[in-house]
Amino acid sequence: MSGSNFSKKFIFNEKIDSTYLYSLYEDDYQYIEEIFATTLAHFDEDLQAIQKAFTSNNLSELKKAIHKIKPTFGFVGLPMVQQSCMEFEDFCQKATTSNELTSEYQQIVATLAASKELIASEYNKLKEFNSN
Amino acid sequence: MKWTCVIVEDLQVAADYLVKCCEKSGLLQVKGHFTNVEQALEYLNKNSVDILFLDVEMPGATGFDLLDQLAYYPKVILTTSKSEYAYNAFEYNVSDFLKKPFTYQRFQEALNKLTTPAGENNISSTATDHIFIKCDGKLVRLNNDDILFIESMGDYVKFVTLDKKYITHNTIKNLEEKVNRQCFIKVHRSYIININKIDDIRENDLFIKGNEIPVSKAHKADVLKRLNII
Repeated sequence: MSGSNFSKKFIFNEKIDSTYLYSLYEDDYQYIEEIFATTLAHFDEDLQAIQKAFTSNNLSELKKAIHKIKPTFGFVGLPMVQQSCMEFEDFCQKATTSNELTSEYQQIVATLAASKELIASEYNKLKEFNSN
Repeated sequence: MKWTCVIVEDLQVAADYLVKCCEKSGLLQVKGHFTNVEQALEYLNKNSVDILFLDVEMPGATGFDLLDQLAYYPKVILTTSKSEYAYNAFEYNVSDFLKKPFTYQRFQEALNKLTTPAGENNISSTATDHIFIKCDGKLVRLNNDDILFIESMGDYVKFVTLDKKYITHNTIKNLEEKVNRQCFIKVHRSYIININKIDDIRENDLFIKGNEIPVSKAHKADVLKRLNII
């Protein structure tokens, strides 16, 4: 978002779509760090909402919960995870009970957990980068 | 002078990004961020803003529910991660539709669509004591004080005065933005009434010069708030 002295000095993990990130924030690494921090601060709460809705077989809440977390991944340069969330949201729309979604649910929860680890690791790298 | 805006968004990272975009533009003053419709309505019914950045799916009521209940109509930019709402966006006459996440350039494009500064728009809609309507091939002047109420008739609306009715091609939704909000209030999806002309209110109806007008549940509280009840 700085719009000046644009440079790609930071090396993002290859799983992160850095081109996408730069299209959103340019090289404002301080701000990217903030975005990652905010995402991590709310991640567990949003993930728990998904787990709770699935366990209680509340498809409407499950759809809402996945819908809420979905754009988060775009903001941290993981548009493919955002796409996976969208597909799961569509499954929720079509399903009549959460049992029908067990396999897809397990897959999406694993994807979300792995994404959190990645975001946390990138956040730590960014923090170090910005402090130097 | 900056445009005032409010952000209604349940995802913190998206709200923060919007605030950043607003600040960067230098054109907008963010008056508040709300994570649900109820909180936003409470603020918006007491404070007028020029622009509303509005998420659609949130816990509880949706962004469209908020638009249904608003007593006035600011410029609306929808922010959502679903394209399926495009049709509703059109129906609600929103200015633009930003799919999350969006670039700053896309945000600027949305602002550029608001070509008429909202402040100016407010002046034309709220400060005048009359309107002109197209009727029978001419522009007819109607003083606000002469209009009792406006009723939807599909693609047309009927302006009812004490002695005449005027039918013109328009919609209630569009008129909400155009009429003087100090005199007029939407009481139902099909009716805008002159608040100064109400004779009495009973349950879910109000009466103006013998005309019975329904008041929807969504609008009743706003109507009562505007009355001088002692």
